[in-house]
Amino acid sequence: MKHHHLDASTFSSDQQFAADVVIIGSGAGGGIAAEQLSQAGFKVLLLEEGAFYTRDDFVMQERWAYPNLYQEGAARKTRDQAIGILQGRTVGGSTTVNWTTSIRTPQPTLDYWRSEFALDFTGDNDLTPYFTSAEQRLNIQQWPVPPNANNAKLQQGCEALGWQYTVIKRNVNGCANLGYCGMGCPINAKQSMLVSTIPAALAQGATLISRLSVRKLNWQGDRITGVDAVPVDAHFQPRHDIRVSITAKHYIVAAGAIGSPALMLRSRLPNPSGRLGKHTYLHPTVISGALFAQEINGHSGAPQSIYSDQFVWPEQTATAGFKLEVPPLHPVLMATKLTGTGEQHAALMQQFNHLQVTIALLRDGFHPHSQGGTVQLDEQQQPVLDYPISDYLWHGMRKALLAMAELQFAAGASKVLPIHHDATLYSSWAQAKAAIAELPMQILRQTVVSAHVMGGCNMSADAAKGVVNQQGRHHQLQNLSVFDGSILPTSLGANPQLTIYALVWRNCQHLRAEMGAKPNRQSA
Amino acid sequence: MDRRQFIFSGIALGAGASLGIAGWQYSIAPQDDNRDMVLSALLPALLFGALPQDTTLAQEALARSKTAVTDFMPFLPKRQQQELDQLFNLLANRITQLALTGHLSQLAGLTITQRLAILHSWRDSYLSLLQQAYHGLRELLYGAYYGQSEHWQALRYSAPRFR
Repeated sequence: MKHHHLDASTFSSDQQFAADVVIIGSGAGGGIAAEQLSQAGFKVLLLEEGAFYTRDDFVMQERWAYPNLYQEGAARKTRDQAIGILQGRTVGGSTTVNWTTSIRTPQPTLDYWRSEFALDFTGDNDLTPYFTSAEQRLNIQQWPVPPNANNAKLQQGCEALGWQYTVIKRNVNGCANLGYCGMGCPINAKQSMLVSTIPAALAQGATLISRLSVRKLNWQGDRITGVDAVPVDAHFQPRHDIRVSITAKHYIVAAGAIGSPALMLRSRLPNPSGRLGKHTYLHPTVISGALFAQEINGHSGAPQSIYSDQFVWPEQTATAGFKLEVPPLHPVLMATKLTGTGEQHAALMQQFNHLQVTIALLRDGFHPHSQGGTVQLDEQQQPVLDYPISDYLWHGMRKALLAMAELQFAAGASKVLPIHHDATLYSSWAQAKAAIAELPMQILRQTVVSAHVMGGCNMSADAAKGVVNQQGRHHQLQNLSVFDGSILPTSLGANPQLTIYALVWRNCQHLRAEMGAKPNRQSA
Repeated sequence: MDRRQFIFSGIALGAGASLGIAGWQYSIAPQDDNRDMVLSALLPALLFGALPQDTTLAQEALARSKTAVTDFMPFLPKRQQQELDQLFNLLANRITQLALTGHLSQLAGLTITQRLAILHSWRDSYLSLLQQAYHGLRELLYGAYYGQSEHWQALRYSAPRFR
């Protein structure tokens, strides 16, 4: 299978390639598309900026995983440094490093898209068969193992308070409950694109080129005419000594919700709606730590197995909704997020195994005061996301800190620490409640993170309100599709991988029909 | 020069000018000696309470952390590498350091408490650039230290081994 893989960093001269379909990006969108289109008999070229690392490379150490598997060494930040963004950059994209949570698109989100963007996912357009297909393909099932203590505290808090919670469905097969999903699954249990659709596409004749950064889409009139790319160096920085040119009949951009708009902005593609690179959503996330007398060991066991939607769809739309989950706890992730310096920080780190952490993901994009961020280009033509945090979102974040503290005390926490640079350890719900009400909700005081980047090339039935149509086809350029999380018109209120799988699966059926499915070369 | 580089320089330039000192230079280029000098001063402060009591072991831990910072930085976007290099260069320069820290003596000559006080003054500064410097350095340095398995004993944590 390896002969279908080329590592662009080994190229010693300029290269040219041609294919039926070129797919830029190998994450949730690109991975599904690669398999679907290879199966249909098309010659597929799959391009990935990251490296082709596999099981044996995944050593379960953050110091290796973050620089090698994540965008910007897992230190990606918004322009004002206020929000840290975890996003994959490796073959399989974020699916190689995500925490396996698989949730169908919430119905209220689809309803909102219908009313605001005239996107109709009912009747013949129903996504249900595609959710089912993706769930079968990736073995997505409810996790049958009891939650680890970190998740169990979320469940116990919900039970004590009468709040809704759900056992999570995960895309795993033979999972050993190790807890290192975020560093690449060392036993190929996680059914990421890396171990499922991409190997299948390669077996069908697709070619993968890794360590290749696409710099520009060339276009003329209403068509893309080619792609300019360069290899990246050992630190994944674009090189300038070798050029790679690629032509295809159809072009699929699937470089993620920061990478895709950035590529299209660099290429100065037509943008009559003005929405390219705009309305980028993050599920801005706030964090609450809690100390328990018993050991939590949040590094061990399935990282996410319980969530709570108690607050995600509030009746009062003036308040931003938020979803409650927990993250895996590993030394670097904890050390960089825990507040304080010197002895204070060291003392918190020493309680590492007794620390439970809950996160609240805000559902952004559903309110006039939550219109997301803007992808911009820096001097090196690399993307940087400007994401101002509105008072509406700050208000929701304070509510989220309150809810998490209440939940953690209800689950038996001895102390709660909202991850805010002015907060301290609080010993009771009453004390925490009073203190959180007074915390200044400001950037670089309140820690905000994100692991879900969405939007920037949003779909809309009306070309004036979006970059692509409901099938992910560019409204102006005939042979261009965008097949990734950037097509989402809002955030989801749920972890995005399954939504992307289903949308892209569906879009591929339309594309196959239009391009005329070819007899499979392998079976011919 | 983009706006950020200009502001960073401007802070130092303004202070330099008020002292009647001109002709200082700043650079966004990496200078290993400057980075090493600043890390040698700030790491023991940030890691106070975390470093081993034993001096030799502490020195080894600091050396590992400095190497980890140096190894990690090239993975950052170029613009962030330049900002960090400029900060290291400014802090290593006696005059510009005065503007950023309020102390005339070299960072290495200050007590741990004084070094932490400088970091906290950046955190609480009205200048967002200094706030960013605090958070940027803090994350970089804590990530470098706690990324090393040799430093996990205090956490009673070890990654599973099954290969």
